[in-house]
Amino acid sequence: MKRIEALGVLADLTSSHPVIATCAATSRELASVKDSDNHLYLLDAMGLAGSVATGLALSVRPSAPKVVAIEGDGSLLMNPNVLPTGGYLAPPNLLLVLLDNGVYGSTGALPTYSPKVDLRRLADAAGWTTRAAQTADGLSAAFAELLTVEGPAFLYATIEEGNAPDIEKLLVDPVSLTGRFTRWLREVHAVVEAAT
Amino acid sequence: MTYAQAVADGIWAAGATRVGYIPSVTVAPVINALVAYDGGTNGVSPRVTPLSREEEAVGVMGAVTFTGGLGTVVMQDNGFGNALTALTTFTLSYHLPLLVFANTRGGLGEYNSMIHSISQPVPALLRAVGLPVIELDRTSGPGDWHDTVQEAGRHAVMTYRPVVVLGSFWNTDGKVA
Repeated sequence: MKRIEALGVLADLTSSHPVIATCAATSRELASVKDSDNHLYLLDAMGLAGSVATGLALSVRPSAPKVVAIEGDGSLLMNPNVLPTGGYLAPPNLLLVLLDNGVYGSTGALPTYSPKVDLRRLADAAGWTTRAAQTADGLSAAFAELLTVEGPAFLYATIEEGNAPDIEKLLVDPVSLTGRFTRWLREVHAVVEAAT
Repeated sequence: MTYAQAVADGIWAAGATRVGYIPSVTVAPVINALVAYDGGTNGVSPRVTPLSREEEAVGVMGAVTFTGGLGTVVMQDNGFGNALTALTTFTLSYHLPLLVFANTRGGLGEYNSMIHSISQPVPALLRAVGLPVIELDRTSGPGDWHDTVQEAGRHAVMTYRPVVVLGSFWNTDGKVA
């Protein structure tokens, strides 16, 4: 499974979820597949996707759709504190999808620790409910399963090395992302409030 | 009112909806006061939680603002080295209000022979990257500290950016280190 295939699957599955996407190739490829108001692209905040998603999960109404973070192995390893912090704070509505290709895909494909360090087991040890996927169908099935989990959930997806060709840089003002994402959240909250 | 209580009351008065902290002996009384007000014990309450590192604290607390709340970070100034990339590429760039209260180290009353190497340049470092910095010390009383922290939080909200308050507890009723 290539990253862009995985992102295509996730874009379809998360249309009602707040999505925090890690920087560089992941955000660019996600935006190329589907650019949506529920996507918050972290354009240069290295390693912060899981932390931002954790803060958001603690802040949205518990009945709102789960907050989904899309993270890479290199980025998670820049801020592995995400795992113990998520396990400790244990927001009921947090789902972190880790796309692991074993390299820093946006910075010359230099190797990460992940071929030797089992990131899923680290998440397990920190108290996350985990599932793994290697295919697009497996990704969908694991995602659906983890939506039913009450507590931090971790989807470990193995992807191929390499970035999709001819993807344009994401040249947007971060403030515009804040504005549209915040407006979208407000609408989701309004929907949730009206339904409860 | 103690200085620590003044800071804690100022944070709540600013409208903070969630507080994350990285511990230090100097801010421990502030954290205890925050937790007590929020109905918790042993450093944890519904809205006050420990975090493991300043960088992630900026991410976790900065995200609070997306839902209309105000996140606050309580820390020690030597942790700003860990937090600069997150503060600049996330909260500053995305125009996210965030209140940061940090005790200072490395000045008068300091015992540690190394910590000044990071703490002394912190105000200039923060200003160099465009962060508003307000400094408090023994020259004003707890009432002023309360009002300053409160207004700093309001300022963060009104100007859509992180605001840092640095407090030196030397020669107050607080503990330096």
